[in-house]
Amino acid sequence: MTTGISLVRENAESMQPPRSLWVSFPLGRPLGVPNDASFQHGVIAASLALLEHRRGPVLEDYPLDAPDVCVKTTPVCPVSFPKSDDNTDWESRLTSELSSLKPWYEIGKKRRGGRSLARLSNLSIDKNIRKLGKYLDLNHLPIDELQWFKQAIEDAKVFYLEAMTAEPGDYDQNQIYQKLWHETQLGAGLFLFQERFAAHPTLHPFARIILPRNAAVKTMN
Amino acid sequence: MVRITDLPEDEREHLIGKKLPPLGPQSWTKHDKPLTDMRVALITTAGLHFRDDESFDFTDATFRPIPCEEDSRNLIMSHSSANFDRVGFAEDVNLVFPIDRFKELVSAGAIGSLASVHYSFMGAGLMPNAYEQSTREVAHLLKRDKVDAVFLTPV
Repeated sequence: MTTGISLVRENAESMQPPRSLWVSFPLGRPLGVPNDASFQHGVIAASLALLEHRRGPVLEDYPLDAPDVCVKTTPVCPVSFPKSDDNTDWESRLTSELSSLKPWYEIGKKRRGGRSLARLSNLSIDKNIRKLGKYLDLNHLPIDELQWFKQAIEDAKVFYLEAMTAEPGDYDQNQIYQKLWHETQLGAGLFLFQERFAAHPTLHPFARIILPRNAAVKTMN
Repeated sequence: MVRITDLPEDEREHLIGKKLPPLGPQSWTKHDKPLTDMRVALITTAGLHFRDDESFDFTDATFRPIPCEEDSRNLIMSHSSANFDRVGFAEDVNLVFPIDRFKELVSAGAIGSLASVHYSFMGAGLMPNAYEQSTREVAHLLKRDKVDAVFLTPV
């Protein structure tokens, strides 16, 4: 028997799993709040309680929302991303940006007890960033090493995100991702990769894994 | 707080567009023992695995085992979708895969025991029927592990 969480109520309604608890939390956060055991236990208890039902399918709504993050008190991103000289090549701009992030990545990693999501790829972050920069400079797509590309961009994104959230505290997700997409060289490079993949006759589905669907929408100045 | 009505239009349309019919004939298993005696497994579609495991491909219907005794803090994510937050999972594995919470429930006697192995799929880019073979395989493994109930988390 199964019970579980649904993040999109409409999908649970149509697919009718035997028991499902719909939560209003953001995608990527099915238990609601990181490092809040009490909140997470509340969600689990509500989902396990569905096992007691005598007939189904059962779809219940969890009554609590995840608490909103107050943007005014959210920690300031410790990294600033100055406008770069567009006359330099991508490889130089990306490696220079990476250097400025490294100390903050290490601070964040230490705060998380040594935990990091980076290093999906067998290559170091330095090698991945240089290689991504070279592809951008050459105006080529990594069509012969798509699995590497998937791992490399994932590594790069989580490396940046972990550095940008090095300080303890609740972060506003929108603020962090807006900064990543619109203020960094990596973000600009990813938009370029996305554009090039989207225009490719057969590899266009790969464009979907590079940036979120709404990344181009600037919601912050 | 996020509800589907709060999402940007393209995101909303994409998610609602997945409106799929029920999966096969409806199944319903009655619980025949109290939760305090049940053996529970966790299954997530978050694309989790340990660093030495093969990462998930662009689309991928396979699964990765997550042994219960392994340190869950070493779990990483190779999900193909760019459309959800990673920062929360970097902060706390339990936000996606609440293994520590379930270990606490076992310690408190609220559930009987945990499966010796839990599982992760990567839910992106494929229709549900693409997962039929691998889910049957996992169901077989769960039965062999004498699991009574499964707690499912999306991402």
